[in-house]
Amino acid sequence: MTYRDRWLTWLFVAPALLLVSVLMYYPMLGTVVESFYSTSFINPTPKFVGLTAYEKIVGSAEFTRVVWNSFIWTFFVVVLQNVLGFAAALLLNQHLPGQGLMRALVLLPWVLPGVVAAVLWRFMYDPQLGLINSVLMSLGLIDHGIAWLAEPTIAMGSAIIAAVWKGFPFSCVVYLAALQAIDREQIEAAIVDGAGPVRRLLDVILPGMREVIVINFLLTTILTFNYFDMIWVLTRGGPQNATHIFPTKIYELGFGQFRFGEAAVYGVFSILALALMITLYFGVQSNGSRRKSS
Amino acid sequence: MRFTTLLVATALATMTGPALAQEKITLKFWDNQQTESGLSQYQQEAVKRFEAENPNIKVEVTTIPYPEYQQRLLTAVQGGNAPDVSTLDQIWIAAFAEAGAIIPLDEQAKTAGIKADAFFKGAWDSANYGGKLWGIPFNVDVWSFSFVNNALLKEAGVDPASMVSFNGLRAAAQKLTDPAKGRYGVGLFAHKGEDTVVVLDSFIFSNGGKVLDEAGKCALTSDAAVGALAFLQSLVPYAPKGILNASSGDMRELFLNKSLAVEFWPALEQPTLQKSSLDWDFVVGHAPEGKKPIGTFGGWNLAVYNSSPHKEAAWKFVQFLTREDVNGAVVDLIPANVKAAKAFVQANRKGGDRIIAHLENAAPRPLSPRYLEISEIQVQLAQNVYSGMDPKKAAATACAAIDALK
Repeated sequence: MTYRDRWLTWLFVAPALLLVSVLMYYPMLGTVVESFYSTSFINPTPKFVGLTAYEKIVGSAEFTRVVWNSFIWTFFVVVLQNVLGFAAALLLNQHLPGQGLMRALVLLPWVLPGVVAAVLWRFMYDPQLGLINSVLMSLGLIDHGIAWLAEPTIAMGSAIIAAVWKGFPFSCVVYLAALQAIDREQIEAAIVDGAGPVRRLLDVILPGMREVIVINFLLTTILTFNYFDMIWVLTRGGPQNATHIFPTKIYELGFGQFRFGEAAVYGVFSILALALMITLYFGVQSNGSRRKSS
Repeated sequence: MRFTTLLVATALATMTGPALAQEKITLKFWDNQQTESGLSQYQQEAVKRFEAENPNIKVEVTTIPYPEYQQRLLTAVQGGNAPDVSTLDQIWIAAFAEAGAIIPLDEQAKTAGIKADAFFKGAWDSANYGGKLWGIPFNVDVWSFSFVNNALLKEAGVDPASMVSFNGLRAAAQKLTDPAKGRYGVGLFAHKGEDTVVVLDSFIFSNGGKVLDEAGKCALTSDAAVGALAFLQSLVPYAPKGILNASSGDMRELFLNKSLAVEFWPALEQPTLQKSSLDWDFVVGHAPEGKKPIGTFGGWNLAVYNSSPHKEAAWKFVQFLTREDVNGAVVDLIPANVKAAKAFVQANRKGGDRIIAHLENAAPRPLSPRYLEISEIQVQLAQNVYSGMDPKKAAATACAAIDALK
C-alpha cells in the first residue's frame, strides 16, 4: 500500500470513525465517568465519590439478583432459541409440501415489533382471561388458572418462553442459510457410506456449520443480554425483582427514579459483559477467516 | 431647522418602531393525557381563547400519553429543552424544585390574589415544598373509590353500604367470590406502578397510619399502618390470581367482563363505566368501624420552568388555566379549583357530592424529593404483603430501606 493509498483509506474511514466515536464511544465513556460521581436529578451537580457507588451496589443483594437473573435469562433464551432455530431449519430444509408457507409462518414472530409480541404474550399469560390457562384447563392439565407472570418462581421461565418464541426465527434463518451452503456431495457420499440421518447430522452437517453456530450463539447472546422490551412489558422486572435484568434495572434507576449515578454503575457492568462477548465474537470470526484462507 | 427636526423624528420613528411593537412570543406548554376524553381538542380551544385575550402570545400545546410523560419531561429538563410551562405530577414537585428546574411562584400568586382556599387543601399542600409555592393546582382525583357491580352484589345478597367498613368489605368480598364461576370479590393489584402505592396508602391513611412522620422518618411500622397491611393481606383469597403483576387496568378488564365485583379506581373511571352496559355504583373508600375513609390525593400542578425565557407569559397562562371559568374545560381529571370542580362533577360524574366530600378529606402522599424511591420501596412492601410475608416484618423491611435513603 502506497503512502497515498494509506491516506485515502483513512480519509474514507474517518466519517464512520467520527460517527461511531460521537454516537457510541463518547456516551460510553460518559457512563464510565458518571459512575464515579454521585448524580441524580435532585443533585445535578456531580460530586466525585470514586468507587463508593461500586462498593454499595456490588455488595447489595439487588445487584447479585440482577447478575443472576441476567445469566439465567441470557443462557436459557440463547440455548433454547438456537436449538429450536436449528431444529426448525432442519425441517424447513426438507423438500416438504407447503414449504414456502411454512417458512413465512416461522418467520412471523421475528418480524413482529418487540413490544407487540410482548403485549401478545402478556394477554396469553393472563391468569383469568389468558389463552394458555384456558387451553390447559380445557385439556384437564390444570384445575385453576396459573399466574404465570406474578409468581416469582415461574415468572422468569414464562418470560424466557416468550423471548424464545420471538427470537428463534432469527436463528432459524441463519441456520437455514448455512444448511443450504453445505456441499451436497459430502452428504451424498455419507449416504453411500451407509450413514443414517443422526450420523450425517453429527459427522457432516454440524462440523460444516461449526463457525456459523458459534457466531450465531455469540450474536444471540449479545442481543438477548440487551433485550429490554419483552421483560419490561411483561413484568417491569417484577414480581419481587424476579425478572430484573441489566437493561430493565438501568432504565428503572435512570428514568424511573432519576438515580443517574447508580444507573451508570449498572451500565458499566453491562458494557463490560458486552465487551467481553463482542471480543469473543470477533475472535471467533477472525479465526474462521484465517482457517478458510489457509 | 424644521427639516432637521422632521428628519430626526423620522429616523427615531424608524429605529424604535420595531422595538416599540411588542414581539409575538411562543409559549411551550406540555401536558399528559390519562383518559380518552378528547383533552387535546379542549385544550386547543382554550388556547385559542387565551391567544385572543393575549394577542402577543402564541401557545404551542404538546400532549403526551401518561406512560411516556415522566421520561419525556425528565429528558427535556436534563437536555436543557424544558417547556416554558407544564403540568407536573404532585409527587414530582419536590424533586423538580430541589433540582432547580422550576421557579417558586409565591410572589406572583400573592400579586394575582391567588389563594389556597380556592383549591382543595390536599392539592394546594402538594404544591408547597420547603416553605415555598412551586406550582398552582391544576387537576385532582382521589384513590380510591370502590366501584361495584350492582348485579353481582344483588345476586350475592350484599348491601353496598355494609362495605364501607373494613370488616364489611371483607365479608362482602368473601360472599362475592366463587372461583368455580370465575368470580372474584375484590380487585387487588401490586404491579410496579403508582396505582399500587396510592391504594396501599389509602388503607393505611384510613386506618390512622402514615407513610412518613413529621420528622420525615418512615412510619409504616406503626400499629395503624401494620393493621392496614394485615387487613389487605386478609383480602388476598378473594382477589383474582396474579396480584403481584396485576394493575388497576387489569382489574378494570375483569370488572368490565363481570368477573370482578369490586374494583379500586379514582373518579376518572366513571367515563369508562358510563360507556359500558354495566349496572354500577361506587362506595367512598373503606375504613375501620366508626372511622371515615381517607383517600390518597392524586393530580397535577402547573409549574413554570427556570429555563423559560418567557416566565411572565407562562405565569399568565397558568393563571388562565386555573381560572374558575376555564379550569373545568381543560382537564381530564377533576379541576383543582373547588368552584370549577363542583360544577364539573355535577355535570360529568355520578355522585358528585360524594366525590367532592372524598376529595376534601383526602391526604397527599409524602412530599419528598426522594418520593420516587419511597414509592418503589412501597411497591416492594405491597408485593411482600400480598405474597404472604408477615406484615410487621414487611413494614420493618420497608422502613429500613426508606430510612436508609437519607
